[in-house]
Amino acid sequence: MSIAGDLIRGHTDAVILARLLQGDSYGYEINKVISTLSSGRFELKEATLYTAFKRLEELGHIASYWGGSGPGARRRYYTITPSGREACYRLLSEWRETKEIMDKLLETEGNA
Amino acid sequence: MRAQLEQYVNLLFAGAPEAAEVKQEILQNTLDRYDDLISQGKSPEAAYRLAISGIGDINEILGQPAAPASPAVPAEPVSESGKRMNPASAAVLRALGVAAFILCPVPVLAEQDVEGVIALLIMVAGGVALMILAASVAGKQEKDAPRTPQEKLRKSLNSLIWTFAAVLYLIVSFLTQAWAVTWLIFPMTVAVNSLLEAILDLKEATKHE
Repeated sequence: MSIAGDLIRGHTDAVILARLLQGDSYGYEINKVISTLSSGRFELKEATLYTAFKRLEELGHIASYWGGSGPGARRRYYTITPSGREACYRLLSEWRETKEIMDKLLETEGNA
Repeated sequence: MRAQLEQYVNLLFAGAPEAAEVKQEILQNTLDRYDDLISQGKSPEAAYRLAISGIGDINEILGQPAAPASPAVPAEPVSESGKRMNPASAAVLRALGVAAFILCPVPVLAEQDVEGVIALLIMVAGGVALMILAASVAGKQEKDAPRTPQEKLRKSLNSLIWTFAAVLYLIVSFLTQAWAVTWLIFPMTVAVNSLLEAILDLKEATKHE
């Protein structure tokens, strides 16, 4: 998780918004999904995850509420707001464009 | 181990009582991770370590400049600077001790009376003191250092030398019956042993540069 990790970390907000687009969730669950989707190759630190939550919440892209499943386990759940959805779609199309450009820039003959 | 995790997170946020909600959230995530790791068959110790390393740099949250290292992680090795200095300074102390041992017969050879013996004993005492000092300086670093093949080689070399010295002492003593002199084999063994270690230390120290 060296170079790829840094590249992905630059898109932490987009990743979180995309996960929340699938439904409300809480810190560890989101991280677990990220880990599973990347086949264990990428994971966020709690501190990084929390900082991103706070930033997105201040921007109004997500909202949070306390909920719990089971006794004693009070978890902070996050939900995506309409402006968050908009931001997510915007970031997604930006990423697609970036990816397309990068693919072209890095493409060499015999290495499509 | 869950209680220890809770203690650890409490300690992390000890300086930020205003961040109670953040702490609660981080703690819950960390406990979730721990439970998950346990259910995957990890040992409590391994799960504890992984859960803690999953927290990351808490200063990121508290809005302080990032610290070079998170506080008091139990399995942290000693600082780099401490590690670097020790082999070389221990080697210098050892070399001085060896010099004292090698030179200690000189006063006796020069003047064959009580004063010569006293000078010899003082030099031996000084040599021993230097050895002990060298061992304590080197020991600080060895506690945390992983056992390397070189260290194992040293250990076995050391015991080999001492066994050889003891055998040599007994054979020479019984053959010559000169018990008053043959004990000198042991100070000489210390000298040889230390010389060897000093050479190995210097070799390692220069390799680290």
